[in-house]
Amino acid sequence: MCLSLNTVINLDIRKMRGQLKILFLILALFYGSATEAQQNVQIGWDYSGMSFHDFVAKAESQDSLRFFYMDEWVSDIKLGEFKGPVLLSDLLDVMFRDKSLFYYIDNSGNVLITRNFAIKITGSEASPGLNFIPSSNYGDQDNQKTSSSAYINIGNPADRNKPGNAILTGYITSSDTKEPVAGVTVFNQRLSSGTISNQYGYYSLSMPRGSQQLQFTFVGMKEKMVNINLNGPGEMNIDMNSTLIPLKETVVSADRNMVLKRYEVGAEKINITSFRLLPTSMGESDIIKSVLLLPGVQTVGEGSAGFNVRGGSADQNLILMDGSPLYNTSHFFGFFSAVNSDIIQDVTLYKGGIPSRFGGRISSILDINTREGNLKQFKGNAGISPITTHFVVEGPIKKDTSSFIITARTTYSNWIFKLIDDPDLRKSRASFYDINAKYTYNINKNNKLDFSGYLSHDSFRFSSDTVYSYDNSILIARWRHFFSSRFLSLVTLNNSNYRYDVSGESGTTEAFVLSHRINSTGLKADFNYFLGRNEINFGTDLTWYGVIPGSYKPASDSSLVKSETLAKERALEAALYIDDKFVLNEYVSLNAGIRFSSFFVFGPETILLYDPGFTKSRSSVTDSVSYSAGHISKLYGGPEFRFSMNFKLSNSSSLKINYNRTRQYLHLLSNSASIAPTDTWKLCDYYLKPQTGDQYALGFYQMLHSRSIEASAEIYYKSIDNMVDYKGGTSLVMNDNIEQSLVDVEGKAYGLELMIKKPEGRVRWSLGYTFSRTFLKSIGKFNDEIINKGKWFPANFDRPNDLVVTFNYLFSRRFSFSTNYTWSTGRPITYPVSSYYTNDIYIIYYSERNKYRIPDYSRLDMSFRFSGSLRSHKFANPNWTFSVFNLLGRQNVYSEYFNNINNSVVGYKLSVFGRAIPSLTLSFDF
Amino acid sequence: MRPARYILFFAMMIFTGSCITEFIPETGDNADMLVVEGLITNKAGNNTVKLSKAQSLSSKTTGTPYTGCTVIIIDDLGNITPFYEKSNGLYITDSTFAGVVGRQYKLTIRTNNSGASNYTYESVPMKMIPVPPIDTIYYEKQQYNPGSGTFREGCQIWFDSHDPDNKCHFYRWDYYETWMFQLPYVVPNSICWFSANSNVINIKNASILTENRITGYPLTFISPETDRLSLKYSLLLNQYSISQDEFEYWEKLKKITDEVGSLYDVTPSFIPGNVTCIEDPTQDVLGYFSVSAVSSKRMYISGRFRGLAQLYSQCPSDTVNDLKTVEDLNKKRWVIESNELVVPPVYVLTRIKGCADCTVRGTKDKPLWWDDSK
Repeated sequence: MCLSLNTVINLDIRKMRGQLKILFLILALFYGSATEAQQNVQIGWDYSGMSFHDFVAKAESQDSLRFFYMDEWVSDIKLGEFKGPVLLSDLLDVMFRDKSLFYYIDNSGNVLITRNFAIKITGSEASPGLNFIPSSNYGDQDNQKTSSSAYINIGNPADRNKPGNAILTGYITSSDTKEPVAGVTVFNQRLSSGTISNQYGYYSLSMPRGSQQLQFTFVGMKEKMVNINLNGPGEMNIDMNSTLIPLKETVVSADRNMVLKRYEVGAEKINITSFRLLPTSMGESDIIKSVLLLPGVQTVGEGSAGFNVRGGSADQNLILMDGSPLYNTSHFFGFFSAVNSDIIQDVTLYKGGIPSRFGGRISSILDINTREGNLKQFKGNAGISPITTHFVVEGPIKKDTSSFIITARTTYSNWIFKLIDDPDLRKSRASFYDINAKYTYNINKNNKLDFSGYLSHDSFRFSSDTVYSYDNSILIARWRHFFSSRFLSLVTLNNSNYRYDVSGESGTTEAFVLSHRINSTGLKADFNYFLGRNEINFGTDLTWYGVIPGSYKPASDSSLVKSETLAKERALEAALYIDDKFVLNEYVSLNAGIRFSSFFVFGPETILLYDPGFTKSRSSVTDSVSYSAGHISKLYGGPEFRFSMNFKLSNSSSLKINYNRTRQYLHLLSNSASIAPTDTWKLCDYYLKPQTGDQYALGFYQMLHSRSIEASAEIYYKSIDNMVDYKGGTSLVMNDNIEQSLVDVEGKAYGLELMIKKPEGRVRWSLGYTFSRTFLKSIGKFNDEIINKGKWFPANFDRPNDLVVTFNYLFSRRFSFSTNYTWSTGRPITYPVSSYYTNDIYIIYYSERNKYRIPDYSRLDMSFRFSGSLRSHKFANPNWTFSVFNLLGRQNVYSEYFNNINNSVVGYKLSVFGRAIPSLTLSFDF
Repeated sequence: MRPARYILFFAMMIFTGSCITEFIPETGDNADMLVVEGLITNKAGNNTVKLSKAQSLSSKTTGTPYTGCTVIIIDDLGNITPFYEKSNGLYITDSTFAGVVGRQYKLTIRTNNSGASNYTYESVPMKMIPVPPIDTIYYEKQQYNPGSGTFREGCQIWFDSHDPDNKCHFYRWDYYETWMFQLPYVVPNSICWFSANSNVINIKNASILTENRITGYPLTFISPETDRLSLKYSLLLNQYSISQDEFEYWEKLKKITDEVGSLYDVTPSFIPGNVTCIEDPTQDVLGYFSVSAVSSKRMYISGRFRGLAQLYSQCPSDTVNDLKTVEDLNKKRWVIESNELVVPPVYVLTRIKGCADCTVRGTKDKPLWWDDSK
């Protein structure tokens, strides 16, 4: 019989070996039939004034109980007055108070009494003949103070008998790097209550006074059990050790309680270690690809930038890197995400239940936290795959005080094009790079600074001479300050810049450069305040935007192109928020918040006024109004309510409800199905209203099979106002009066997301199925503003059925296998249905918008990982990854499009990946 | 294999992975919408409304005529002008009718389907805007497909126009080409004329110009792949003054016909014209009812161009010495050369009637306006 991971006894072998031998024997003998533990044995007879010994004798005869203890422990215990039937456990609680004695009542009526340590058995399916090994200390050579089973006294012992709960607070840090560890589950199994450490590693938990046992678990960290005597409010800081297993890939996940404890419906923390297990598309681990495996997240097609969350368009996702927005999220036409996975510490996707500290997008927040450099030693890793090479270097600048980390990635794909025989392809070029750097400085216990920078560049040229280039750059400064152990703040100052340049006709008199640019500067201050059972978050979020919608300029001195720049847009987004996470009682906790956001559009600008009786066009302009610099031409704003409630139904199940409203003040103008190279960001203005989304969600979560399997079901309904679509045939590039081309659209989406997964162990799997629909409806009243006669039509990304299956098998610490399979309904498409001639011109007439669908999508990927050596400190330890993307070689249709060939319509099916794509990646740790 | 070659191998596979396959789109949609091609000008005898139904994609015809409709136009003074169905789906006014510049015209169509439901269609009232004359049309010999080895010449045609009154802000042009061609054989019908309408949208927004002057508008390029330039070519250019709404209609139509079919394809959509159905406003009505003043200019090209394609070079199929032995003469085989001076006589036959008779493709009747002197 092997040990169940969920059976936890915390013992200190070295101190108590003698006594324990007996106990183990007893346990082995009596741990028989597995039923409910009999904690609730009732004592109904008079025990007034009895000695403990007499009490036991009577209890053993009357109630078929058996007691195990040592006489010297209980010699001075006398029982009080019998006042009526009482639970044995309550009676023992009273008797053992202040005695360092603990008891355990098993399901056969055995009462095991221990001194100085407690037996804790979780899970109800312990097996006969179980061997008890203190799992949390397994293999742990450098036993830390806090992990010993000795009881730690917290608070003033004189306060122990005071009424009410006491609050335990503290920080959790990694013993290796001294970095705070966010997201650690702190759990009291007896009370079935717990909390999660915040971004500073801070936790706060309210518990009854007395002896308690706390379990600290986190992915990639060794689980830690700590026994405390909670006398009163106090502080306990915890160091957690990373697991000894040298491969990041085989880290055992342990945040089993997370899914039950979080307030939000639809928040998904992506485990960076299991994300690295996923098969790669071209030898690159990719964060967006792993996001796509989550239920409720879809894409228009592979190799297209952006993703769609619960019926939202791709521009409705806010991608935050250390709190700073990232405007272009992909490299290489969407094949790779713009964020190098080497720099990622953790990633959380909020599909719903968006905390009030986030705002600005209506569908989702993808919150990426980047790593801090190692404070103890220099480390590095370098890798090579067919397309890219990448490296990471990190280390202390001043040991335990300041550190740096630098990651970089680049492609060298240009040489591949040069080798290709096809003359068109040979002229093509594509390359990208990205660089992340971060400097962290721990000024003192209460102050911490970090500075980080990000730079990415893409450049590609198809066979034509048109060159597309993209640049993202981000600068971030953050200051964490602890006013007290319960009141902390994080101030972030960031600047994010994104631009693209399209140049063409080079060498001719029409050589041009078409540019677009968005720049935002943000100041964000977040405060956390822990007050009893409340965790209060409040803060402010200010962002200044500057957008150049487009400029068209001569590319050289000899070019005759007329230089033209569309009027710059300027605006300020300002928000205040406050929310409270409140534990109402053991069963109900809630998180209620409000975010008040506002948007100020600043001049100088000239606004055209239109005759309201006609569709907005050049011919319906009646007048114009000009605003000078610094004057506000339009103001939007309003409250956004966020509310989540968590009902604990049992120790292994919970029900959550959630409502949130979100507002979005910028749009990505795109009239193609997926994000295209020339899409531009547009701020809300006099005519373009902010998008607003309201989402209602309900989720049910159940842990199965000794909490090793998580099952969840979530349903949601969402309505979206003020989305935009486009009038037929309009051009969005260099369009100065975009309001003339827009169509007002509203959206609705609903869905059911089912997930069952086993996230840990040697065999891991998950099965996710989503049924979802997304519809749009035009609400304009003029003929050219009406799509599909004003009826609801499916959105471009409406893919009703979506199935994702993943399976990992860790053969050994050195060798692992991973596979995933995806099947989903094809996306909707508009088909040509008939043709006609007008003035002898052949014209195609299309069906109602998105009436038809491209074929279903199905893909199987597989990867094998092999580590050259288990010794993590051996120099240049090689890791090999062999992946096959699209193993079945299925030609999944990405798009269908139609052309007029000699006055008849020919359709084309485009498959981005037409065959299985193997890749081999090699990386070295040094 | 060395690792570097592995990498190359895998990289090659990646870049040859994507593929495009052709298919014929088929839908069960019933889409026989009304197509209106209406044109009222200030010239008599030039005023037509053509009604047809859109057709399924598999159909190879140029549209199903919509017959039996009642078609009228009403001007802003209340004058009603009826149309008569000249041929299937083609409705014309009395040959004396001509539109008047400055007046507004509204088209009304009433279907007369027996049994099926009938609808009334109406256009937006359209005002006739004055149009200036075309200044000049000119052409230039241009080398065709340079670098291909053989020297071939095509012809680029331009024109200039301007409106000193600056009343015509939006222009549309169409043209009517006619050319004379000759079969390279000694047959009775060897010289014919052939005509074709332009099938490209030519429009220009002059309101964005500082001066209402159009210089060197590239109308069309005549490729040497046709026989347009073989003997004599003529082009009649019509210049129309259109409203801004009509200009935008053609501009969008041009966009969806020209710019479809790429990875980042624009979502195709219906471009509404100016005709709507009264009983069922949700019906899509295709086409446009255009009201415009017109000015026209004709030009001729009769120069010599080198490297023209010989369309009739593949005609000969048989050589016989006695026509009596030929079965199906003038039914399946035709004589294109005969030399009776030699003994025995030689007759060259063809299996293509068009090679022996130019009226198969064109007309033997010289157009009345054809000017031999130009």
